[in-house]
Amino acid sequence: MTTPATITPSSAGFEHEALFYRDDETFLAGLLPFVREGLARGEDVLVAEPADRAAVLREGLGADAAAVRWLDMGAVGANPARIIGLWADALDAAGAAGRRLRGVGEPAWPGRHEAEFAECRLHELLLNTAFDGGPPWQLLCPYDQARLPRAVRTGALQSHPVVSTPEHRRPSTAFHREAAAAAFGTALHQPADGVLRGNYGPDDVQATRRTVVSFARSVGLTTEQGQLLELAASELLANSLAHGGGSGTVSLWATKDAAVVEFRDEGRIPDPLVGRLAPRPDAPGGHGLYAVNQLCDLVQVRSSAEGTTVRITTWR
Amino acid sequence: MRGHGSVTELPQAAAADHLCWVHDDDDDAAFGSAVRAFLAGGLDRGERLLCVGERAISALDGAEGRLGDVDGLRAAGVLETMTVAEAYAATGALAVDRQRAFYAAATQRARADGYRGLRVVAEVTELAADPGTVDELVRWEHAADEFIASGSGMSAMCAYRGDLAAATLGDALAAHPTTHAPDHLSPWRLFFDEHGLALAGSVDTFTADRLAALLAGTPTGERAVLDLGDLEFVDVAGCRVLAGWAASLRARGVSLEIRGASRLMQRVWHVLGLDELAPVAFTGARG
Repeated sequence: MTTPATITPSSAGFEHEALFYRDDETFLAGLLPFVREGLARGEDVLVAEPADRAAVLREGLGADAAAVRWLDMGAVGANPARIIGLWADALDAAGAAGRRLRGVGEPAWPGRHEAEFAECRLHELLLNTAFDGGPPWQLLCPYDQARLPRAVRTGALQSHPVVSTPEHRRPSTAFHREAAAAAFGTALHQPADGVLRGNYGPDDVQATRRTVVSFARSVGLTTEQGQLLELAASELLANSLAHGGGSGTVSLWATKDAAVVEFRDEGRIPDPLVGRLAPRPDAPGGHGLYAVNQLCDLVQVRSSAEGTTVRITTWR
Repeated sequence: MRGHGSVTELPQAAAADHLCWVHDDDDDAAFGSAVRAFLAGGLDRGERLLCVGERAISALDGAEGRLGDVDGLRAAGVLETMTVAEAYAATGALAVDRQRAFYAAATQRARADGYRGLRVVAEVTELAADPGTVDELVRWEHAADEFIASGSGMSAMCAYRGDLAAATLGDALAAHPTTHAPDHLSPWRLFFDEHGLALAGSVDTFTADRLAALLAGTPTGERAVLDLGDLEFVDVAGCRVLAGWAASLRARGVSLEIRGASRLMQRVWHVLGLDELAPVAFTGARG
């Protein structure tokens, strides 16, 4: 066991730690001291947990629960690409009030889809990209050791510089600072068959939008889901045409529980945090992908020298 | 809401017609018969007729159509003709306020003389082709629509030749509720109806600047109302143009009510924090 002081001196910047728990007891044993320490120090304590985990923690905290700000991770973290923006806002608000921020965030709860777990992993990696070098704050990310797939647990070791259980706290030997950029540049797994593909250019925006709408209808999405996909397609097409070399490929396919629309082009997005932080209302750009992230069920962005892929999944 | 959309045939004449007709210069017969039929519809309604522009005037004498004895109509004061220079440049450089005063006076004279209103055909290609006048012309088209929709008694067919720049035709078409332009796509239309402004069709990032330019010249009172009940699609760029307009209205002390916005549009508005730019009252939301 390593003492906390040898890992990261307090107030050294962003402290990002994974907490492995086995059951409610170890969940509380890890979180109660963390939350209460933050409250005792007068920090802004924000807990983003799915509803069932939040209920356990609330009960464990008793009267202290009232001093904590709660977010339903099941809603705000449905698309993990929304979460960094929330922490950024909370960090700004705490800073403006002259307080430190302390967060609990559990995006990778058991039972999520594989594609969601992939985005949770990228999100956890990108937290370091987003907050390293900024104001000091602490984020503790609980992982259910008993019920999560092995790949998800391994991913947590890679994305958190510090890992702990209620008994142990140590630096993660699997953590690499370069892993975020590598994950952002790694191509998404492609489906083997059943994919509808078409190329688009500057004159195909309306036609592509219509194709997406009729695809949404054909796979049984609701009218509202179809409208949202049409909007998302419009935003991604506009970005792709402006920054992706003027043309690209749209792919459409259905899985047993989702409809998927994917845009690929030869452009490269240098910033892996693209679309995750709220642009100022009067900023000239960046609104399209941010809105798509906020509104769609799951958005996956990958970009490298090979090109850029944006994949939108709609659960049905 | 006032009738709107793109048409292939000339619609039945009605009050407050404001039609943009893009014509092929080679196809004299079709344009000529549209001009005569538009004016003949005004005769049936008891309106005085004004025909502006050589290209439109030359269409009056065509055989086909119900206009009848053109010389007799002229002599009786029912039909007047003017060159573009006479109608648009007689009082100096083209300016929205002067155009409005000119047509308001002509419409009032027609009504004072016992007509139901004034029906105008104006072939304004030369103004649209001139870089010095095209922007003011488009602003005037938008302002004219407000005058026409206000119950003034004026109706108009604004004719443009189809070989004008596509962007120019797009600007002109967007400022009319009704359009006839077989070869030119007009994805949306901004026009006035009895309650205020209406935006119909499909607005995206590729035409958002055009919307911003039109809205910048929109005449409003102390309250502005924008009806989106027939807006089929709007993207983030379109929402941001509307929010920017709301902010500029607010700076002038004008409040904005947006009617019939889709739920999706309101969600976009919210997630982008556009309500922080300017407060907008959303009413009558639809799915």
